Amino acid sequence: MIKKFIEEVILQTGQVHQVQDYSTAGEILAQIAADHQLKSMVASTDEVIRPLKIMEWANKKGIEVKTADNFKDRASFKDYAFGQADAGITGVNYGISESGTLCLVHDINQPRLASIAPLFHIAILTADRLVPEYEQAVENIYTGSSTPPSQVSFITGPSMTGDIKAQSFKGMHGPKHLIIILIE
Amino acid sequence: MEINTHRFTETAKKELKNEYSRVFLDIFRQHFPVLRKKAMASFPNPDKALEKSAAIRADVVARLPELLNQFEKNAIRNGAKVFRAKDAKAANEFIVNLAKQRGVTYVTKGKSMVTEEIGLNQALEENGIKAFESDLGEFITQLLDRPPFHIVGPAMNIPVEEISDIFQKKAGMKDPTLDPVELGQAARVYLRNKFHHVEMGITGVNMAVAETGTIINVENEGNIRMSKSSPKTQVSVMTLEKVVENMADALHLVRVLCRSCTGQKLSAYVSMDSGPKKENEIDGPEELFIVIVDNGRWNFYDDSQSREALKCIRCGTCLNICPVYTKVGGYPYGWAYSGPMGQVLTPLLLGLDRTKDLYHACTQCGACSEVCPGGIDHPKMLHEFRIRQTRIRPRISFKKNDIIDFFEFALWEKMVVHPSLWKLGVTMSRSATRQKNAVRMLKKTNGPVKNWTQSRTMPQIARKTFHERWNELRDKK
Repeated sequence: MIKKFIEEVILQTGQVHQVQDYSTAGEILAQIAADHQLKSMVASTDEVIRPLKIMEWANKKGIEVKTADNFKDRASFKDYAFGQADAGITGVNYGISESGTLCLVHDINQPRLASIAPLFHIAILTADRLVPEYEQAVENIYTGSSTPPSQVSFITGPSMTGDIKAQSFKGMHGPKHLIIILIE
Repeated sequence: MEINTHRFTETAKKELKNEYSRVFLDIFRQHFPVLRKKAMASFPNPDKALEKSAAIRADVVARLPELLNQFEKNAIRNGAKVFRAKDAKAANEFIVNLAKQRGVTYVTKGKSMVTEEIGLNQALEENGIKAFESDLGEFITQLLDRPPFHIVGPAMNIPVEEISDIFQKKAGMKDPTLDPVELGQAARVYLRNKFHHVEMGITGVNMAVAETGTIINVENEGNIRMSKSSPKTQVSVMTLEKVVENMADALHLVRVLCRSCTGQKLSAYVSMDSGPKKENEIDGPEELFIVIVDNGRWNFYDDSQSREALKCIRCGTCLNICPVYTKVGGYPYGWAYSGPMGQVLTPLLLGLDRTKDLYHACTQCGACSEVCPGGIDHPKMLHEFRIRQTRIRPRISFKKNDIIDFFEFALWEKMVVHPSLWKLGVTMSRSATRQKNAVRMLKKTNGPVKNWTQSRTMPQIARKTFHERWNELRDKK
């Protein structure tokens, strides 16, 4: 399943870094930031990303990281997500191997713009969250809860288009680069 | 949008001479079926997958009123506000009023065929609200003020030179470029500012799930996710047939849609909304309006043949393989919908009288119905429209064409059903059809049947017909 997931992600020009634990994930993240000169990031605060202790990490590496609770309102959050953040970094609720898809459940800890507004989307995924097909993810999310999440996104590769002469390229409105750190 | 369905022949003739479109369509026609077939092959059994999607759509159409009510109830329970619009006017008024009440000066839009159908952009602009199409293809056609060339790739036929010009004139692009990637980048920069400050986003809907009250959007660019994340108000417009019973059905249709539409396993983004954002979320809409547009669909719902048209999921595959569409392109169809799916839907929405060319521009080859994920039999429907149109024509009419038709067909009918008249006709025309230059002469004829003779080769009548030979053989015995 892991192999299939990675193959599918790569087909969509996504990158996958496989690591053993969160501390290595932090090192890889620092490497990615250095390679692409990512100086400011907007991060989610969901349970997958939490063990990364991203604020401590940011202080150590000298990178600016902001989360939704750093902003007083929607407007200032939007200013940062659209205007300043070089990258968005989020946890992933489910990885779906059928098409190399990331499933994000949006709520207070998973703001929507973090994974769509910046040019880079860095996603943290733990291997126990991999499922073979969409159905498993959707069932877990929608059954048994009386109030479904306001939004669920499936993300498969970076933003793309083929609207001019049917020539396809990445990074139309959303991220041009999708980088996944897979913690086993 | 302007309706030009009555100008099919005229526009088609013009488009056949458009060399740029021709080259593009030729490549596209060869390339697309391969892409689609490859994508469909990733199903364990592609035929079964199509059968399943057709079964899902048939069930939806059969139970449409019930499923729609269930969807509405659950969407409201999720906190969405649902408005049922009887026609284009009601839908546009509702959205325009909403925009005025919220004090917005502009909206960003995700690609949505129904908003083309109801002419929403025009209604907004007439009320001083700017509408920015944000799908790259729609953005280009909007700047150029062109109708969509294809329901999936509305601007695929536009030369890069033209895009470069219009981007410099209207989208703030500084330097000319013929590189599609740089052109895309210019559109990104221009629209990003709009997404950043937008207060109202308008999108279409690919599927509406009855069981959970969820709306689903399928896209590649991220413009729809932007339009649903950034603004305080979200308006999602759907036609009533977009509903499906449950998530499992929706997921199967999404799989088939993406493979049929663009040859992808899954589009880059599939986003599913159940109501507006929760109170503690920092982005996402504070209010979500779902506008369900009828615009004439309930009128033909009771007719079991016509309602088949509602099974369409707008994947665009029928356009890509149609021998007529792949020659003339999307403009001749004269409205929001083109190709076979447009030929079956448009006459039902606009009436058989002003869409005559649409249901005649079909060779009945059946390529479309073979690949249709909705299980629509387009040729059968178009044939049915032709029959109906003949029936509604008055028996006695003094219009010039009707008089000519009457004489031609009345005479023809008499001749073919009377053996003696038929034999006489054969004997009289035999030598004429065997002349060396008969074909050329016939093509030049300017008679009342010239539309017919100009595009067909007259077969030669045999020196001896079967009947004549049969009689000879019998006499010999």
